[in-house]
Amino acid sequence: MNERHGAPWLAPLCWGILLVGGCLLMRFLEAPLRLVEPDSRAVVFERVDLLTLLGRHLLVVSVAALLSVVVGVVAAIAVTREKGRDFLPLVAQVASMGQTFPPVAVLALAVPVLGFGTVPIIVALMLYGLLPVVRNTLAGIEGIDPAVREAARGMGMTSRQILRQVELPLASPVIVAGIRTSVTINIATAALGATVGASNLGEPIIAGIVNGNTAYIVQGAVLIALLALTVDSLFGWLAPGHTG
Amino acid sequence: MIELIGVSKRFGDSLAVNNISLKVASGEFCCLVGTSGCGKSTTLRMINRLIEHSDGEIHIDQQPIRSFREEVLRRRIGYAIQSTGLFPHWTVARNIGLVPRLLKWSQAAVDARVEELMALLRLDMAEFAGKYPHQLSGGQAQRVGVARALAADPDILLMDEPFGALDPITRENLQLELRDLQARLGKTIVFVTHDMDEALRLADHLVVMHEGQVVQQGHPLELLREPANEFVTSLLGGEDRGLKEAALLPVSERMVPLGVGGVARDRIVQTASLRDALSMMLWRRVERLAVVDDEDIPIGELSFRRLVGARGHE
Repeated sequence: MNERHGAPWLAPLCWGILLVGGCLLMRFLEAPLRLVEPDSRAVVFERVDLLTLLGRHLLVVSVAALLSVVVGVVAAIAVTREKGRDFLPLVAQVASMGQTFPPVAVLALAVPVLGFGTVPIIVALMLYGLLPVVRNTLAGIEGIDPAVREAARGMGMTSRQILRQVELPLASPVIVAGIRTSVTINIATAALGATVGASNLGEPIIAGIVNGNTAYIVQGAVLIALLALTVDSLFGWLAPGHTG
Repeated sequence: MIELIGVSKRFGDSLAVNNISLKVASGEFCCLVGTSGCGKSTTLRMINRLIEHSDGEIHIDQQPIRSFREEVLRRRIGYAIQSTGLFPHWTVARNIGLVPRLLKWSQAAVDARVEELMALLRLDMAEFAGKYPHQLSGGQAQRVGVARALAADPDILLMDEPFGALDPITRENLQLELRDLQARLGKTIVFVTHDMDEALRLADHLVVMHEGQVVQQGHPLELLREPANEFVTSLLGGEDRGLKEAALLPVSERMVPLGVGGVARDRIVQTASLRDALSMMLWRRVERLAVVDDEDIPIGELSFRRLVGARGHE
């Protein structure tokens, strides 16, 4: 994607309008939905207001994202410090292996431990979202030219000054890319929360699957996709550019 | 003044630097030379505590370096390295002003100092101040690196093969400028290199290291004339030593003042080296050169016999 050309705020704005518009105006789309699902009595999901579901979805994802960013960045910084170096290989390995673990499995494992509802889904999302954040923060910090760090030390900067003025700014494009991946994945993964009793945009999908109503599934899927696109393009607009 | 007394550095079981003692007087240009892995960089980095020494003592102006906090010590010692280590996300001006800002100078003082240093290192303020390191050539980046090292006006400058990655012409220019800068500013410089010509060109005090130990140290001419062993001889260029020595001696050293015989046609300035004079003789196929001063006025004559230092009258 190349949001840097033209008006960079245009993409998130368009996706955002489509998303909110979709939530508000879904009930007027009965005709096209009828095409997808001609047999069912109802084709518009009306059990819960879609905007409310969107709000809950965003809340769950934001809380989980905030937690994974804080925990992930702090953990990655900790293991790249001199004192935490011993844990670096372990954390790096877990972070890259964890990525291969399917999110459904994370949820499946989280429910027996944490029960049903919104809390387990937040925890599962946070754990799953942690991995790209940790991996990218590590890659960002470890990817800094060793000469730069050497010079920073040689000039007499303290460890804290090096972290804040050199390492974090230089690693930030990579870290933000990790957060972007984490959040985008979690927007989709959060939908699975509906299977364990969390109420969000996954609810129409699950209801559709249970009742054999494809129209419900389409509504949920389209809205989640629009949300993912909105948030992703927001990152594209706000993320720091890759400076050389 | 920097003084190393019986300093050693162990990494695990291996001894990177083995009991070296070294004194660098104030205003002296000291070059550490040796093959890769001889411990010269380690020695340099022990002086600003980027590497902690295992044994012995290191003093700066009679004070042991461990009596300072690391950062405080480093802020009063300039440091320049081969790969420059400029911060890629900062402009040239901001990079240069780093140490003054760490020392909490006022913004106005930092700006003034940056301007002064850019002029000193011939970096055009208007052109370079706002550029980022990736927009600079190797030579320009190294100038910025040296400017940054000099920013807080430290008495001591540590340089780790700063010109090692530059092309020969840029390297020679920077060597000459550094030599000139040192003469003007009177800094104490410790300079690590494996390039013997560079070391001979720059050093007042040459320290040859091998396998973690100092093999020989002294004035470059002293080492050239009386190398301590085979290793120093080969490092100094073996049979090339004659030319290397000639490169260190000015024409004025061997010329005969004007008044003896006629004036030769080919001219050379008195500050040129004997090596240049020899080269000119070979090139022009002559045995005599007229020696002139800076204003191109003949002041003497140099014959081939005098140049090679043959004894007796010609």
